[in-house]
Amino acid sequence: MAKYILKRIAGIFIVLFVVMTAAFFMMRLMPGGILDGVEENLSADMRDLIYAKYNMDKPIWEQYLLFLKGIVTEWDWGVSLKLYVNVSVWDILAERIPITLYLGFLSLLISVPIGIAFGTLAALKKNGIVDHAVSFLVVLFISIPSFVMATGLQYFVAYKWGWFPLIYDDSLPRITTTFLPVLALSFSPIATITRYLRAELSESLNSDYMLLARTKGLTRVQATMRHALRNSLVPVVNVIVPAFISIMGGSLVVESIFGIPGLGGITVRSINVADYSVTLASLIYYTLISLAAILLVDISYGLIDPRIRMGGSKDA
Amino acid sequence: MHKEEYTGLAPELMEIPEEKFRLVNLDMDESDEKFKGKPIGFLKDAFLRFSKNKVSMVALAGVLLVIFMAFAGPAMTPYGYNDQNPEEANLPPKMPGLEKLGILDGSRWLTSCRKDSLDEFPEGSILEIGTDVEEIRGVEVVSVKVDYYKYTGVEDDTYHYFGTDYLGRDLWTRLWRGTRISLLIGFLSAITNCIIGIIFGSIAGYYGGKVDMVMMRICEVINAIPQIVLVTLFILYFGSGLVSIVCALLVQNWVATATLIRSQFYRYKGREYVLAARSLGVTDRKLIFVHILPNAVGPVITRVMTAIPSAIFTESFLAFLGLGIKPPETSIGMLLADGQKVILTYPTQVLFPAIIISILMVCFNLMSNGLRDAFDPTLRGA
Amino acid sequence: MGETMIQVKDLRVNFRAWAGTVQAVRGVNFELKKGETLAIVGESGSGKSVTTKAILGILPSNARITSGEILYNGKDLTKLKEKEFYDIRGKHISLVFQDPLSALNPIQKVGKQICEALKKNEHMSNGEAKKRAIALMEDVGIPEPETKFSQYPFQFSGGMRQRIVIAIALACNPEILICDEPTTALDVTIQSRILDKIKELKAEHDLSVIFITHDLGVVAGIADRVCVMYAGKIVEYGTVDDIFYEPAHPYTWALLSSMPDLDTKEKLFSIPGAPPNMMYPPKGDAFAPRNRYAMEIDFEQEPPFFKVSDTHYAATWLLHPKAPKVELPEVLKHRIQRMKEEREGA
Repeated sequence: MAKYILKRIAGIFIVLFVVMTAAFFMMRLMPGGILDGVEENLSADMRDLIYAKYNMDKPIWEQYLLFLKGIVTEWDWGVSLKLYVNVSVWDILAERIPITLYLGFLSLLISVPIGIAFGTLAALKKNGIVDHAVSFLVVLFISIPSFVMATGLQYFVAYKWGWFPLIYDDSLPRITTTFLPVLALSFSPIATITRYLRAELSESLNSDYMLLARTKGLTRVQATMRHALRNSLVPVVNVIVPAFISIMGGSLVVESIFGIPGLGGITVRSINVADYSVTLASLIYYTLISLAAILLVDISYGLIDPRIRMGGSKDA
Repeated sequence: MHKEEYTGLAPELMEIPEEKFRLVNLDMDESDEKFKGKPIGFLKDAFLRFSKNKVSMVALAGVLLVIFMAFAGPAMTPYGYNDQNPEEANLPPKMPGLEKLGILDGSRWLTSCRKDSLDEFPEGSILEIGTDVEEIRGVEVVSVKVDYYKYTGVEDDTYHYFGTDYLGRDLWTRLWRGTRISLLIGFLSAITNCIIGIIFGSIAGYYGGKVDMVMMRICEVINAIPQIVLVTLFILYFGSGLVSIVCALLVQNWVATATLIRSQFYRYKGREYVLAARSLGVTDRKLIFVHILPNAVGPVITRVMTAIPSAIFTESFLAFLGLGIKPPETSIGMLLADGQKVILTYPTQVLFPAIIISILMVCFNLMSNGLRDAFDPTLRGA
Repeated sequence: MGETMIQVKDLRVNFRAWAGTVQAVRGVNFELKKGETLAIVGESGSGKSVTTKAILGILPSNARITSGEILYNGKDLTKLKEKEFYDIRGKHISLVFQDPLSALNPIQKVGKQICEALKKNEHMSNGEAKKRAIALMEDVGIPEPETKFSQYPFQFSGGMRQRIVIAIALACNPEILICDEPTTALDVTIQSRILDKIKELKAEHDLSVIFITHDLGVVAGIADRVCVMYAGKIVEYGTVDDIFYEPAHPYTWALLSSMPDLDTKEKLFSIPGAPPNMMYPPKGDAFAPRNRYAMEIDFEQEPPFFKVSDTHYAATWLLHPKAPKVELPEVLKHRIQRMKEEREGA
């Protein structure tokens, strides 16, 4: 198991390196270069400073090595060039990452239990009215993009009915002011988990081991809880990672709709004004967080499912 | 046999006439009977099942309607998609027919109008005066519902079905034009990603072994990178535009198709009929295209159907990020993003694109569900 | 063999399916006596598994018992509520499944799966249950039961898994054991060992067994009495000797003729045609269209049971006094002859 985890962590660094390298070279080699549009506004001193900072007088691969060295030795991700001129990129991100993570995890925290409840309900009442209603909602929630949901919630719940603030407000408790964005982000993961669990659970409910559990004399509820539900929750872990990654993607847009000072907002803005050092760092951050999520799920999957745990330990 | 020993049969059984006990099947052939009825082809069978599914048919109708409107819609108005007319900026929707019912009648509530200025409104433009009279700094103000077309002095027979945007461009024309672009992006990327996926997956699945391992590692690495990161990188490098959006969509989406095809190959390449064909000296290419690949037709069609809405989704997502196609060309996502900016003052500008994209997404998703059921009836209801 | 354990009377079970109603069981009668092994033989889809599921009250939700009774201990099992079954399943009637791989929960240790029944039905503590479970595992022939206790089903071979399933079924000392094709999913060599084990356990635990199978070869070694089912009905029943040496129903003839064995030189017999669509069961004898010896009456009226001997009944018009005399097929005659010789030789 330990060897397996180490292997996965090594894999993460490889992917991270690939992304970093690709992003770095794409941005440096881009027509216009990183100083496009700001160069003329800078004083000669400033420009020299930035050139020196980014080692622009050296060949590109040396620039890259120095950039890597900066990160490894000094945790130096460079400075923002346009949004907050000369402010350290890491400082900008560090200030914004918590709120984005808060949104993501809160949304996941809401989606998982609701999705499990709906999925179980639909599977137990399969082909009944409840099931059809749930299936209808699932299609709706999966289909309608989170930014459309966010727009609708913002207009009706916040503007028309005035239940929640229109945009992020620092003076309000975090839970109230982020309620609508979190809700908007949660529809799609709820639907994904519901659909998946419903399929898994209806299969387990019809399985032979479920019948065996009942022929042992277990009550229907006991058999369902101990065997069918428990077994079908295992593969649900599979969809939680994609759900989390799609939440993080959705937060890019939802944050800017609600004006939340998170990573999503700054990423979008940095892309729009071409502040590449910020873009680069936030892209790497997004990669890192989704890779970490994948690893986490792989590990927990191994812990829950003996077939994988044992299989893994045999290989290792 | 033993029937002589047997006595005491019920009388009604004894009354059955002798001739009923004639053996009639003696000339029966021992071989299995022939299949009755004509064999139905796999595709035809799936199509029949699909067409029996009411939900899928409604979804299909929805998609066809949107496609039809995407081509016919812009021609139904006298406006071009980029005709700017600053005098008709931000008009509310107005549609002939529906205006008599009180919806889409070109009206709009104006808030905080000075009560004493109401006389200065253009003649006949006031439809209703609100009851929320308030006094602000000694001046009585009130909300007024006006015929915005008359209010702004637009000619009487002007109709903008979905209203206009801040440049006075007709949104009906722009929306259907944008739908056309979104659909184009959807179909283009879905088809290209299937082609790449089929080729890649076939090679990996057919040859297996080391080739397969290397190819699958490549897939894993690509899959591990969040889509948004890949797409952003791509667009940053190539600049925004239709082609780079389609390419960006391709970078990752083909992987799912490839793994799907690969698993089909693994399932079928060991089957006896494939081995038989191979032992008869059938070439690799023929084995792939004639004997194995046709089995994957169902999943691939279903996959194309799911790839289209996800491409449309990604496109509008990118538009929201400001990475959409180049103006003045538009797409549903661009219209959504533009409308979102003025949602509080002109909510209809975001309403219609939101409705259309939701209809498209729902219908495509329902259709792919229906197709999946049609191609694999064992999954029904799952 | 005296006391009747289970009596099934005119049982009818329907399934609601996509295209209509399937009549899976159409009026089945049989009884299980104390201490005997009753085999129910038939092709897949003949309704044998459905019958046993009806006894245990574990029919799928789209199935409905439309008529008939299943009498057990003076109670009609078809009328029982789910709750009342909790005291019968496992404790009094147990089931051994066809496929041990899918019958065991893949992510639970086998020991826990055995203990579960003990704790529920016998209210044992963890320690007691474990002790008993290990004894049971030893009983069904699992080597090193202490180690195996905390292993998962995927670490077991097919035969060992089936032994676990049998251990679970026997955990609470039931009186009746229903075996639903318990050897079908196993290798032939393992099959005979499992059959021997079942026979041994039956004697040891004083069980009455209902043994479902499609394989007449298996029946010969284990059963006392045999019911042959076709298209949701029993077409012939009798002792093993009755069925094997004096089969009366053409379907039984066909089954016996199609049994592969080493001595048959001729082409192996196969039953022409396919079983009827049970959504529209045919009028008269359901087997008639595939029956070489079908008569006109077979297509018009359902045959009643004709008595062959005190223990042996068959539902075929061929036993009617007016029916023409039909000789057993030549192949079958030889085969029965051989079987008889083998038995005398043995």
